[in-house]
Amino acid sequence: MAEPTQKEPGAAGYPGYGLPHEPGAGVPASAGAPFGGPPPEERRGALKALVALGGLAYAGAIAVPAASFIAGPAAGNAGSAGGRERWVRVGRLADLPPDEPRRLKVIGEERDAFTVAKDQMLGAIWVIREGEKIRAMSATCPHLGCGIELNGDKKTFNCPCHSSRFALSGAPETGPSPRPMDPLATRVVDGWVEVDYRRYRDGTAALEEIAG
Amino acid sequence: MSLGDWLNERIGYREPLRRLLDEPIPGGARIGYVWGGALALLLLVEAVTGALLMSAYAPSATTAWASVAHINFTLRAGWLIRGLHYFGAQALVILIAVHVAQIAIHGAYRAPREVGWFLKLGLLGVILGFAFTGNPLPWDQDGYWGTRVETGIMGAVPVVGPLTQELVVGGSSLGHMTLTRLYTLHVFVLPAVTALLLAASFALFRKHGFGAPHGANLTKADRLYPKQLGMILLAGAVVLVVLFDLAAIEHGAPLEAPADPVSDYNARPAWYFRPLFELRKFFPGSLELIATVGLPGVIGLYLALLPFIDRKPGPLRARLPALAPLFLIGLGAVGFLAKSYASDAKDEGFQRSQAQNAQRTARAMALFKQGVPPEGALAMLRNDPEIRGEDLYKKECASCHRLNDLGPPKDKQTAPDLTGFGTKAWALEVLRDPDADHLFGKTAFKEMMPSMVKPPADPEAAKMFTPMSAADQETIAAFLEAQARGERSAGTQGETLVRQRCTSCHRLDGKTDDEESAAPELRGWASVAWIEAQITNPGSGKAYPPAAMSKDLEGHMPAFEEKISANDRKVLAAWVHRRGRGEPAAAASAPEKKP
Repeated sequence: MAEPTQKEPGAAGYPGYGLPHEPGAGVPASAGAPFGGPPPEERRGALKALVALGGLAYAGAIAVPAASFIAGPAAGNAGSAGGRERWVRVGRLADLPPDEPRRLKVIGEERDAFTVAKDQMLGAIWVIREGEKIRAMSATCPHLGCGIELNGDKKTFNCPCHSSRFALSGAPETGPSPRPMDPLATRVVDGWVEVDYRRYRDGTAALEEIAG
Repeated sequence: MSLGDWLNERIGYREPLRRLLDEPIPGGARIGYVWGGALALLLLVEAVTGALLMSAYAPSATTAWASVAHINFTLRAGWLIRGLHYFGAQALVILIAVHVAQIAIHGAYRAPREVGWFLKLGLLGVILGFAFTGNPLPWDQDGYWGTRVETGIMGAVPVVGPLTQELVVGGSSLGHMTLTRLYTLHVFVLPAVTALLLAASFALFRKHGFGAPHGANLTKADRLYPKQLGMILLAGAVVLVVLFDLAAIEHGAPLEAPADPVSDYNARPAWYFRPLFELRKFFPGSLELIATVGLPGVIGLYLALLPFIDRKPGPLRARLPALAPLFLIGLGAVGFLAKSYASDAKDEGFQRSQAQNAQRTARAMALFKQGVPPEGALAMLRNDPEIRGEDLYKKECASCHRLNDLGPPKDKQTAPDLTGFGTKAWALEVLRDPDADHLFGKTAFKEMMPSMVKPPADPEAAKMFTPMSAADQETIAAFLEAQARGERSAGTQGETLVRQRCTSCHRLDGKTDDEESAAPELRGWASVAWIEAQITNPGSGKAYPPAAMSKDLEGHMPAFEEKISANDRKVLAAWVHRRGRGEPAAAASAPEKKP
């Protein structure tokens, strides 16, 4: 044969369609039924199952790590303070007037995936000195995360986005907020007020801390 | 009606699928036919892992390295995804080379399959293009310097070179724009071209089928499914197992220290470009273009013309004249590849630079675990006391002082060797033989300090000389070592001995019998503060006295007060103190506590 590669019988759109010399030694009588596929011979059936299984295994070998990569939270991502204590110095005790809420910045180390930035503003908090007790609440609205402001009368807080109103205790009075303002633990060290700064999920009635 | 029937009625997928699966293979299924299919499977793996990597990669000169390190070391299964992508790319190079060679050996490029052959050559080019655009993306030393050299080669091409170079680099020097451009090519342009080439290849395969080799038994036939497809899957699975293995061994893929445009990096290309790298050595000067552009061009042209040269089917023997260059290219490539690695293995300078590079890489990884600053990975490395100290030492000190393997060759040093500076052994050596070549023998201070054990050359003085007892030497050296550690050792026997035996020239707490002497202060000798004072001004008296800066002392140490910033002097002093005494690198900066 001069052209061993030539196998197209004619102008048929697809090769292999009704080939004249189909029945070879290894393929018994399959040419008779070009659309019926090979006969249901057991050996071939097993081979087909094996190939299909192999294909699935091949796809799975990639798909499993892929799903793990996409869905997995960063293992060992120290980015968040998630669950751990993070005490941040926010101001001097002496600068806090009694019973009057003060808005203070929380400055600290911010991690985002692979970067760590020092001295970043992590958020804001409302701090009230009540006698010897220091009470702190996140200035982030538990509804959808806007910044909570103090009303002019200094008796209530207000979220400007969706008009949630809170008492000085943090309890919701009117508006859509599902829970009170998020309380934060405080302590006083050498005359400095420190806050264990944490973040919580928006929109839920229960407190759910979020990582980072 | 099943879902399959419903879909089939609308799009009619069953018939073409069956035709594909039942594609007859004249001559029967064979291993030789697996390469194209395995290549397609592997390209699919590359596409999937590539898309995953895109979801975490940040292409800019400040973030690329950190994001790749994040993928490889922090994200779950990130190492595996990156390892598969990295080693898969190298497997692609091998598979396409085998595929092309196989087609040539089968003569499966002959009419009417020439266009299919061109498509395969195009795929080869695109795969090398993926390598060229992908290797720099981590922006580590290897990737950066590889690109620096490759774009340099590009720029040297007559006429079109400079413009192409500028287009690829995105300016005149490598930076953010280089990464974004290479990235665009890598994740959009080249994949689009690949998809077109693959689609066209597949269509042509449907038209012509496999090209059976000469002498195949054409009375035998198999169908594509299941036997040939099974073979292809098996080949793909074998490749995948190897990739998993390599990724596990390497824990992902190699990542060197962040790209540093001013470092001394001994760049080597990826292994598949090594033959060209080696070839280049034979063409010095302006002849370089022959190796970088000329020969690859000729090879490409030969491959493209092969179907027209090798026209007559027949046994391999008969086709040898046409195929000889192909075999020569293959043998040459393997030979040069081996030669390149062999000569690097013997090259001490290269090995040393590799070792230094490995050290820097390890340091970068330790720092990465603490977090990368927003200024980027290079800033992280440069501001690290360990790396910064070494860089400063290399730049400012190493022209005179040796320290371990840094500095001038042993016979060329013009200042004391600082290896062991601050240790008891170093102090003992100075006591016994201060004018040894590696101490003060090659400096202006030669013959200033007498040996404590060797009699002086002057016979008169030699008569008076009594060598210092070994016990006293030990005591003094121990006192000095304690000073280097930062202890005062007040009231110790060592201090008493030093006051008796040394202060006729040396100072101790600034007190000496000879104010004109150029001998240094021994209190705090070789401590960080002492070294820092010496770097700042070697005539301040805090280390060496003003006499040590005298004009008569040719080649004395200069003051670095105005040359190195105060902070860098501190870093450098601490580094010399650490390294001289052979202490391990300081731990990566401990997390700072807020005041």
